[in-house]
Amino acid sequence: MERPKPPLSVLIVEDEPLLAMDVEMMVEDAGHRVMAEAASLYDVEALDPAQSPDIAFVDMQLARNTTGLQVCSLIQERWSNTIIIFVTANPKKIPDDFSGAHGVIPKPFSRHGFMNALRYLQESVCTPPPITALPGSFVPSEHLAATW
Amino acid sequence: MVITDPSQPDNPIVFCNEAFQKLTGYDQNEVLGRNCRFLQGPGTDRCSIDKIREAISRGESIAIELLNYRKDGSTFWNALYLSPVRNDDNSIQFFFASQLDVTNHIVAKDRAIAQREEIENEVAKRTGQLEAALEAKTLLLHEVDHRVKNNLTMIGSLLRLQSRTIGDPEITAKLEAMMERIDALATVHRTLYQSDDVTKFDVSAFAVTLAQDVVGSSGRSNILLATDLEPILIPAGHASSLGLVLNEILTNAIKHGLREGRAGILKLSGGSTANGAEIRIDDDGIGFSDEPSKGLGRMLVERLTKQTGATVEWSNLDPGTCVTIRLNDWN
Repeated sequence: MERPKPPLSVLIVEDEPLLAMDVEMMVEDAGHRVMAEAASLYDVEALDPAQSPDIAFVDMQLARNTTGLQVCSLIQERWSNTIIIFVTANPKKIPDDFSGAHGVIPKPFSRHGFMNALRYLQESVCTPPPITALPGSFVPSEHLAATW
Repeated sequence: MVITDPSQPDNPIVFCNEAFQKLTGYDQNEVLGRNCRFLQGPGTDRCSIDKIREAISRGESIAIELLNYRKDGSTFWNALYLSPVRNDDNSIQFFFASQLDVTNHIVAKDRAIAQREEIENEVAKRTGQLEAALEAKTLLLHEVDHRVKNNLTMIGSLLRLQSRTIGDPEITAKLEAMMERIDALATVHRTLYQSDDVTKFDVSAFAVTLAQDVVGSSGRSNILLATDLEPILIPAGHASSLGLVLNEILTNAIKHGLREGRAGILKLSGGSTANGAEIRIDDDGIGFSDEPSKGLGRMLVERLTKQTGATVEWSNLDPGTCVTIRLNDWN
């Protein structure tokens, strides 16, 4: 299969506008493109199914009583190649099998922690396996290595 | 004991001994010719009476405890033993019945059972209360933990967003230093709540994580990090202060000691000592001048170490700087 090349297309699913903005800027600083921001499951449903993101950062607790797990299933159904990364202050709420998602960045994260995780993910997507050491700010699931 | 004659109507008593008269309060002449049932009363268990009746009609012996009544109306627990006495042709000639007052024994047994039930109920109730309290506390702890993390994330985001809008490099640098302090606090919090015991903080594990973060965020691939630390557990209450102290020392080593992109080695070592514990941070950078620094960083180190009862010693290596943090024994 042909692997994507940078800049990668990134979907941010986060109901806290400040954090969404912060993540968006870090993603752009790293040279990637934010495809869309979504605050709830409904916002993700409203996106164009033809536009597949390379990476999705998904918060667990979302607006309008929806959850990251619901978004995770929707993404898997719509865009099977998208790498799904939970970004949450409550990593214990993630099921053992990650519901098929590829990893988690626990909150609170530092700029450096987030940037390092992003670089590792970029290598995972574009030129696997990654040559950068696994950063402490990122916990991969077994599903990530399965895409290499 | 009594002897009854089943061949007469209603199986009357034909003999009773002295002990029986003493136990029941009845005289011999009040007893003879009567069926034993006059010993029963409203509190006597019907089921037990049925069992005795059944044993008599089958001609079998029986041992049973039942509540009987004395002549004066008082009660006693009677351990009754009743058995048929057969003659040569094997027909029943008499029934022999012995009585033993086991009231004390029964009462003691009942009391023991009642007490045990009461204690068991009390224990179950208390256990339920404690479990509910623990669950409430655990929920609360998770909720607070979640909120603290979300707030720290928000503070970090706010500072990062603000730092983009500042043109002045000096102010930007100060804001970045502030972000690093917030990040250090966030790392303290994460380390604490990921550990099994939230009352103790492994300052060594934290120091290694923080050093990786600080070296990493400098974007400097020419700084080698070497760590040799044994676990050092301190009370959780000192975690934030010592976390900030370590952050100042580590960022100073990189921003000052290894300034202007100098390549170098940052070494962390330490462990328990006779009076407590010690952490050493060495760099092979330019060292420091003797003139005391007036920056916020140095002030933070001084004030916060004093608060936790620790001491910090700076010494010039040739080349480089060595900082030793000595922690008093808290145990």
